[in-house]
Amino acid sequence: MIKIKNLEASIDDKKILKGIDLEIPAGEVHVIMGRNGSGKSTLANVIAGNEAYEVDGGSIAMNDTDITEMSIENRALEGIFLCFQYPVAIPGVGMAYFLRSALNAHRKHQGKDEMDALEFLNNAKAILSELGLDDSFLKRSINDGFSGGEKKKSEILQLLTINPKLAVLDETDSGLDVDALRTVAKGVNKFKNENNSVLIITHYQRLLNYIKPDVVHLMIDGKIVKSGDMSLVERVEKDGYSWLEK
Amino acid sequence: MIDSIKKSSLEFFNTNGLPSKKLENWKFTSSKNFKNFNKSLSLDEIKKIESDEFSIVFINGVLDKGSLENFKFTDLIEVKNLNELTKKELLYCSESFLNESMFNLGVSEFENGSYISFKENSVIEEVINIKNYFFENGQNERVSSFNIFHINEGSEISIIEEDIKENFSIFNLKLNKFICEDSSIFKHGKSYNDDSQTHSLSYNYYEIEKDVVLSVDSMVKSSFFNKEFIEVDLNKVGSDAKINILNLGKEEQHVDNNILINHKAEHCTSFQHVRNVLDNKSTAVFNGKVIVEKGAQKTDSNQSNKNLLLSLESNAFSNPQLEIYADDVSCGHGSTTGALDETSIFYLRARGIDYSSAQKILIKAFAKEVIDDFSLSSLQDISEIALDSWIDG
Repeated sequence: MIKIKNLEASIDDKKILKGIDLEIPAGEVHVIMGRNGSGKSTLANVIAGNEAYEVDGGSIAMNDTDITEMSIENRALEGIFLCFQYPVAIPGVGMAYFLRSALNAHRKHQGKDEMDALEFLNNAKAILSELGLDDSFLKRSINDGFSGGEKKKSEILQLLTINPKLAVLDETDSGLDVDALRTVAKGVNKFKNENNSVLIITHYQRLLNYIKPDVVHLMIDGKIVKSGDMSLVERVEKDGYSWLEK
Repeated sequence: MIDSIKKSSLEFFNTNGLPSKKLENWKFTSSKNFKNFNKSLSLDEIKKIESDEFSIVFINGVLDKGSLENFKFTDLIEVKNLNELTKKELLYCSESFLNESMFNLGVSEFENGSYISFKENSVIEEVINIKNYFFENGQNERVSSFNIFHINEGSEISIIEEDIKENFSIFNLKLNKFICEDSSIFKHGKSYNDDSQTHSLSYNYYEIEKDVVLSVDSMVKSSFFNKEFIEVDLNKVGSDAKINILNLGKEEQHVDNNILINHKAEHCTSFQHVRNVLDNKSTAVFNGKVIVEKGAQKTDSNQSNKNLLLSLESNAFSNPQLEIYADDVSCGHGSTTGALDETSIFYLRARGIDYSSAQKILIKAFAKEVIDDFSLSSLQDISEIALDSWIDG
């Protein structure tokens, strides 16, 4: 699915990623944990192609296609989906219009016909119902006036509508109450299957109580320093990260 | 009587000349091109326009009385020539207009202005189309017009003004006065869409009495030079004035709004919302002022100007002002100018929407927030189509 080799990236001439190696095969859920400032969100943004970051070295490949130099939208069309930590509000752009535009951009890329409005609406309403959101959600502007929980549910609505190959969840669990966390986890579990992958970036174990990862990676100062199973999460919860530096 | 008014107005213009950049409302607006236009002559032949039952037609600024024969609501209106009005009826308007040399030039030049009065309690649900046709009678003509609309007590009237002409350039110097009597509702929509080098300069004065609901909605697309003065006097208690304006500028277009709202009585509300989308070397000017007089307690007023710059060479000049002389009021104003938000573009692109489409979506969202506030749904429809073609163009 995704193969990242010796990835180095910087922002404003400050090096953040200092040689990331990561491979997530189809059907797997990986987790990256690390201190604030360790480069987790930078990695998510660089995977998505955020042009604010400069890739200084290494490569990113999706299904053997090198996407390191690819535009943001082409990466999305290749199957990368970033669940934003802070989804931006865009007043005046309706959720329904936005979702349908995004979905049809993907369908066009896949050589499929555009989805008609009725079919789109029926699909969207079914997803909204699972997320505990009212149909009127579609009439609102993108993330405009949304609560923290609604913003994250909006990201999951988009994830389930677009159905990408790789979902990168950048601290999607932050700021969520228990009910919203369960809803988000339910959405991610509904999404994942043997043909796609999930990369979860988080500080806490609580989301991992609902979504079971296959591999856990620990990141320090722009590098993945240890990979393993859920026991690493338990160790971090107990001892923090300083033991990794010894 | 009209001759003496015209004479003194011409003297005022001759004394003061074309407006200079020393004047606040002309600080960012050049009047030098005005010299290229000459006073129009009367049309050589009478033009026949087919009109429908919901339209009132003006030809080169003069009412086409023939159009009233088809007009469905002729029984509800009274029409007079402005020559029949007293000086006070004709020129009771804003002091600032009377001190504008171009307003005086318009007064000195207009011919056969009309006074159209909607009788008391005339409630017309349909939108009346005011169609301003222009015909070329020579090159680079200045067409000056002056018309007065009187909305009498208890009436509910909606109009949409539209300028219609072939692709030739004129200087359209338009003076309008609107009198809204007690408990009337007046919705005034305007749509400008002209690809020629036409210069449009308009002075619109609204005299508002008690418990009136006034809305002024306008969209300007493709006008080379469009400068509009709007002045609203809220003379008596309980009235509400809403002004929503969207200007779309490309190439070297100049769009210019000068709005003055005078709160002269208690419990009135006013709202100004002007948005400019500017590409290439286009320029926008916003001079907005709200004056709340000493006795105008419980005034609720808001003024907003937002400018979206799509190129480094486009310019927006914004000057929102409040003058408040009452102590129990709620007044706000604000202005923003900036480019498209790159974070929003990234968000849309991260969902597979290409850069150009993401830009178009954001431009439309910015502009549509004004269109959605237009009080006339038919103007919303016209404006949205015009907006789409402007964005795609």
